[in-house]
Amino acid sequence: MGRPFRQIAAIASMNIRSIPQRLWMSLSTVVAIALVVAVLLAFLAMGNGFRQAQSSAGAEDIAILLRDGAQTEINSAVSRDQRDIVEEAPGIAREAGVPLVSAELYVIVDGISRSTGLRANLPLRGLPLVGVALRHNVRIAEGRMFRPGTNEIVAGRSVTREFSGFDIGKTLRLGTSVWTVVGIFEDGGTVRESELWGDVGVVQSVFKRENFFQTIRARLAGPNALAPLKAYVDADPRLKLAVESEAEFFAAQAKQSSDLIQKLGWPLAIIMAIGALAGALNTMYSSVASRGTEIATLRAIGFGRIPTFVGTLAEALTLAVIGGIVGIIAATALFQGYTASTLSANFTQVVFKFQVTPALCVSALVLAVVVGTIGGVFPAFRAARLPIVGMLGDQ
Amino acid sequence: MNQALLVAKNLSRRKLRTALMLVAILIAFFLYGGLASFNRAFYASENSAAADRLVTVNRINFTMPLPVNYAAQIAQVAGVKAVTYQSWFGGYYQDPRAPLFMFAVEPASYFEVYPAIRMPPEQRRAFLSNRTALAVGKTTADKYHWKVGDHVPIFSNIYSRKDDAKAWDFDIAAIFTDPDDSARESIVLMRHDYFDEMATFGRDQINMAILLTDTAAHVDAVAKAVDARFANSEFETQTDTAAAFNRAFTAQLGNIALIVTLVVATAFAAILMIVGNTMMMAVRERTREIGVLKTLGFRNSTILQQILAESLLLALVGALLGLGLATGAVQAASRNIAGFGSNMRMSAPVFLGGLGWAVLLGLATGAIPAWTAMRLQIARSLGRR
Amino acid sequence: MTDPLSFQLRHVTKRFVKGKETISIFDGLDLDIPAGDFVAIMGPSGSGKTTLLNLLGGIDHVTSGEILFDARRVDTLTENQLSAWRAANVGFIFQFYNLMPVLTAAQNVELPLLLTNLGRKARRANVATALELVGLSDRAGHYPREMSGGQQQRVAIARAIVSDPQVLLCDEPTGDLDRTTADEVLGILQLLNREHKKTIVVVTHDPEVTRFTKRTLHLNKGVFVERTSLS
Repeated sequence: MGRPFRQIAAIASMNIRSIPQRLWMSLSTVVAIALVVAVLLAFLAMGNGFRQAQSSAGAEDIAILLRDGAQTEINSAVSRDQRDIVEEAPGIAREAGVPLVSAELYVIVDGISRSTGLRANLPLRGLPLVGVALRHNVRIAEGRMFRPGTNEIVAGRSVTREFSGFDIGKTLRLGTSVWTVVGIFEDGGTVRESELWGDVGVVQSVFKRENFFQTIRARLAGPNALAPLKAYVDADPRLKLAVESEAEFFAAQAKQSSDLIQKLGWPLAIIMAIGALAGALNTMYSSVASRGTEIATLRAIGFGRIPTFVGTLAEALTLAVIGGIVGIIAATALFQGYTASTLSANFTQVVFKFQVTPALCVSALVLAVVVGTIGGVFPAFRAARLPIVGMLGDQ
Repeated sequence: MNQALLVAKNLSRRKLRTALMLVAILIAFFLYGGLASFNRAFYASENSAAADRLVTVNRINFTMPLPVNYAAQIAQVAGVKAVTYQSWFGGYYQDPRAPLFMFAVEPASYFEVYPAIRMPPEQRRAFLSNRTALAVGKTTADKYHWKVGDHVPIFSNIYSRKDDAKAWDFDIAAIFTDPDDSARESIVLMRHDYFDEMATFGRDQINMAILLTDTAAHVDAVAKAVDARFANSEFETQTDTAAAFNRAFTAQLGNIALIVTLVVATAFAAILMIVGNTMMMAVRERTREIGVLKTLGFRNSTILQQILAESLLLALVGALLGLGLATGAVQAASRNIAGFGSNMRMSAPVFLGGLGWAVLLGLATGAIPAWTAMRLQIARSLGRR
Repeated sequence: MTDPLSFQLRHVTKRFVKGKETISIFDGLDLDIPAGDFVAIMGPSGSGKTTLLNLLGGIDHVTSGEILFDARRVDTLTENQLSAWRAANVGFIFQFYNLMPVLTAAQNVELPLLLTNLGRKARRANVATALELVGLSDRAGHYPREMSGGQQQRVAIARAIVSDPQVLLCDEPTGDLDRTTADEVLGILQLLNREHKKTIVVVTHDPEVTRFTKRTLHLNKGVFVERTSLS
């Protein structure tokens, strides 16, 4: 009877329009799928935000040098002599003859979290002014930069927001000295905004690390400058340093942490999806059962098995997609831009925002569609194979 | 037959549907059992630490060092029964991304402060007498298939050696257990004198001093006394109970408890809706039968109880299945996750708590259907074809 | 001298509201059913036959008037009292048997006994007796779906009599059965009336029922026309 597509469309639309007859059951499936999608998206957004805060901090044209084998800045150790040797290296950009090299020290100090009131680890980075210039997107949002040789510090925007005591003009004790916050800087929401900056010489002396640095950053002279710099460093036995572009370095760190969150989020979501699947199967089986007479009548009229199958599957997919969209909207409304912080590989707090992206939404929707498909296929088989005789009339 | 059988029979009426409900409930309780156990183990480090043990770290931050002679000075503070010290080595074996929980320690005093550590006497003697000896907790030893007598090279991602060798060579002298705190069985101990001798920097420095007070009641006073001793010096100290120290650390990782609660709550919300609606539908299908039971003389309140019993039975069976699966999963996790992970096990509070939630779930999903069934008017429910 | 009365309906009115209309089923109906009666109530659809049966069984309530059973009022009993009264005094038989599909024949018959204090052995004995009376002892362990319509109705009768109630109320008991089976079922009812002295009220469309009953009442628009049949 008729062209197959017309049949399929007719039955599918009848199935879908009959959903309100089983309103509460259908609603429970939609809600279950929405919840699964929302949880998955929350974890993915968390991982994505964490990764973005770290990876977007890295520049392609900045090289970062750490002690060979140290995976993080805090585990690294670089001496003044090593810095002097690096300043002579090829591939490093110079301005008016001065090599754009910044030797930096990374110390952990305590702050008090605004939300929990508990102590938290914050990074205090000692760096020379040239180091500030190596961070392209940094700008002073309030106040001014610290003056070298003084106990002045500037705080990243995230630090001021999440931890108390770092507003402009405030003085505080870090280490054995008192410091003054003279400015707040912003850096596009990257991990740098979770840092405090001060003059490297002062930080070294207060924290008793004279002649001791942890990382060297340098502006590369051009797009191909990394290779010659690396060759130079590898050739010199006094420099046991690993050389990478900043972008690579942060990307590796970011990948590790986002991998971890993904490894948590997906299994969790899949387990929950199995529960939602049980609900979806239940709804669809009862839909087929309650419409048994209707289906048998259609079959008796002459509608084929395939349209019946597709019709039921269409109903299941509709519920699943609605659930997926509701879940995406809910997760975005609740979590998008939500600020959180956790410990980085450096043992310091990294502040990040949950970032929902279209790509993540698609992943979550795929999960919903999978649940809808499996939840619809088996009941659809049953609907297509319902015996016509015996279903007509009373049941 | 009795009323209990009737309840069970009603559940077996549509086997597929009951099975699907059980799966949904099972999943929710599996999540609850697993996540609640994870949560417990995560925060257990706050609770398992002995009440009379204090840690002293640099006041600025625990990653900054203290002079090694602080240990001897702390020993002189009133109320201190024993003191030891340790330094984080940053060690790894073969894979730089899989760090070991490795510390350089002063052997004799370490075992005084952690008396629960168990090892055969000859192994203890070997560790105390051999400079390059390594004492390994059972969990880590099993993970890497280490045996006493093995020679293992370990790398540090913080410290390099004076002789420029990359690897630090160790002899495994002892494998120990700690019945009080299974997380400690993930730890690897090297000797501080070996470290001091070979490290290019950091000698005569320690990360942390750990001390025992003579009684748990004196803990606060002793902590204050220790910090007072080093106040206004170059290296000021911060002394806390080990529990408080751990708590501050876990708090920095994030509000794990909140995340766990939210995930479990959403799982329960989902099944509440699914199971509740299914019960409603099941009761509606049995309208006529319920009417017949009432004509036989069953009271309205009896009908109510029967339906509630049904939803309770469903919830409890599903919960037991889910909690059972969770127990297995938690055991597997405890063997594969280092550190606090090895503390993961299904505990009575989590299990019983789960059963309590199952009762609540059963009542919640059955309440409206049972009420509806109770109020069914017989004449209408018998109906007319 | 009159026989003692099982049921007495005095000036019973039954109305119900449907949307904006009030529909009146009975208006001041009187009816006497003596103990040991076997009466058929016939009439067109909508005449109120089933409503009358429901009122007798206490599963529906009068708008006004009185219903007496053994000279005591039952229309004023509470729900719980009615439940207990039904369990003790009334057995129902329906057109579509209304057996529990998840229970065997024996378990179905045992249901009313769960409301008593009888122990398991006593219950089983009663069930066996009831099944034997309807001739289905060999089907005790079978499920309803494994039995024919007539067999299911006989199980339903066994269930209705297992507590030995005084009264049996039957709503179209033969409506779904072929002639031979219907007559078998009616024969059992007749046996229960003659030998066990049960008062039986049958609501039916089936004219053959009158061959078995002691009298027939015709109901039309809520009013009786009586005709006594030969028995």
